[in-house]
Amino acid sequence: MTALGPTEAAAFLYREALLLDRLDFDPWLALYTNDCVFWMPAWRDDGTQTEDPDSELSLIYYRGRRNLEDRVKRIRSGFSVASNEMPRVAHMIGNVLSEQVDDATIRLDSSFIVNVQHVRINRTHAYFGRYEHDLRLIDGEWKIARKVIRLMNDVVPTMLDVYGI
Amino acid sequence: MKPFILRDLVDDRPMDGVFRVNRALFRDPALFELEMKHVFEGGWVFVGLSTQAERPHDYFTGFIGRVPIIVSRNGDNTLQCFVNACPHKGVRLVRKLCGNARRHTCPYHGWTFDSAGANRNIKWQKSGCYSEAFDAENHDLAAVARFGEYRGFLFASLNADVPSLEDHLGEARKLLDLLADKSPDGLELVPGRVCFTYEANWKMQLENCADQYHFTSTHPSYIRILEQRASEETREVVRSSIGAADFWQETAQGVSGGTMTFDHGHVLNWGVMPVSSANADFERAEQLARAFGEARRNWMFNMRNLTVFPNMQIAENASSQLRVIRPLAPDLTEMQTWCIAPRNESAEARTFRIRQYEDFFNPTGMATPDDTVCYEEAQLGMAEQERPWLQGHARGLMASVEGGNSYADMIDLKPVRSVVADAQLCDESLFAGYYRAWATRMAEVLA
Repeated sequence: MTALGPTEAAAFLYREALLLDRLDFDPWLALYTNDCVFWMPAWRDDGTQTEDPDSELSLIYYRGRRNLEDRVKRIRSGFSVASNEMPRVAHMIGNVLSEQVDDATIRLDSSFIVNVQHVRINRTHAYFGRYEHDLRLIDGEWKIARKVIRLMNDVVPTMLDVYGI
Repeated sequence: MKPFILRDLVDDRPMDGVFRVNRALFRDPALFELEMKHVFEGGWVFVGLSTQAERPHDYFTGFIGRVPIIVSRNGDNTLQCFVNACPHKGVRLVRKLCGNARRHTCPYHGWTFDSAGANRNIKWQKSGCYSEAFDAENHDLAAVARFGEYRGFLFASLNADVPSLEDHLGEARKLLDLLADKSPDGLELVPGRVCFTYEANWKMQLENCADQYHFTSTHPSYIRILEQRASEETREVVRSSIGAADFWQETAQGVSGGTMTFDHGHVLNWGVMPVSSANADFERAEQLARAFGEARRNWMFNMRNLTVFPNMQIAENASSQLRVIRPLAPDLTEMQTWCIAPRNESAEARTFRIRQYEDFFNPTGMATPDDTVCYEEAQLGMAEQERPWLQGHARGLMASVEGGNSYADMIDLKPVRSVVADAQLCDESLFAGYYRAWATRMAEVLA
């Protein structure tokens, strides 16, 4: 598979969302390149987000899938009280726009809502914002080389982990 | 008639080896209202850093207790702090978190104020048929009763009847010095504010910052990640300053740190950390030793969790964090957090500091969620019950001594009480410092 039309591009995002909804982390991690960037910027003030992760704070910033693997390890460890009673989550993705940058790169913009039900305390929260995915063609497969999560409601109630965004 | 009796709430009998806190302090709505009035609106609280409003007409907004405030630098370069409410109808004058403006106009009826808080226009005043009595009133923004700065840290009080800021901070000033002296150019907040809430009482956060006891039992998932990262040494993962220290490890030998309590409720929990390249300040290690001597420099690298009662905490452990605690309800607290850093450190050191920060301190990271979830679980257990007294303030009582110790002496610190600890002592007796200051601020309503 090389070409990725708008329909297939959207389906790629839906598949990632489904894996997170199922808390099926191994195939989720496999969607990412080894050197992927996974970035959720913080807000600088009322209206602007941090832009340079090296000199400004992010909510999450990783360079390298290895770091996402650490997150998953912690979630599964049995030693994190915040992760022992796993929340139920459902991602809704819309407004998908795709742009073929070159033969091996596609840029996707989309909107998300993630409903998270914290079973522990029977509390639901809806996170929402925009995604930017850069997909790269590696050995015939499209992988996520860069994902930016622009979280709009950034006042986090208690906690937020990678499956809730 | 005072509504509460102190001994029903805080059982403070040092001669009997007893210090206990009643669960009501974490739950009671009437007590919460009184806390807001007397603890937060009745004395000094931290409001921000001077570098948050650096140029003339810069401002930032916030709250003292329930009262909205604005900290504004006027045209003469002086910082002032006002109640952020129009005297006309009480409308919050400035809604933005921060910005720069010479004039602030109320969105409701258009009254206008300058950056020094002076009223510059009352819309259609001449045709308003106001009485002389009205004209004689002060129409400027209300300045808070007390406002002061220490090394760039800004504090304010809505109550004029408080000690001087110098007295209030007391020995804690020396701990702010340790932080501020890391750079000749002072401190700044790294752009990017992270805000979160948790559904539990504000004192859970107050205590947790000084609670060494929880670290290995609340954060084993994070500790395992650190251990794994340390053994692999790949370039993709960030080195940890905590991982490079052993003050928290069961197997550590000798003195690993301790606690100190100061007047007015300020407390320090500290741990020995090596002067190592796992700390973002390492690039200045030699320079700092030359400027301040080795002992003082070594203290700059120690783990230091400082609380300036009642609402400011600076955690220097995995990275460097400024936290501001804002109680919203007996069982709801807002936390505003920033990475606080020495100005003009190298770009590499800054990036390193930020990376260390995010994984540990953020509510989207790998440690703080395990704390805040525990706070919420604790809040459930604060319900009224047969045995109201908590057993969480008793460790270390028999190790606590009056005054300081040789470690405090190194930086001329003179605490009221202190504990020198091995890795497993994990003193809780320092929390008494919080509750004694709490009782002092609440004295008017406690019999």
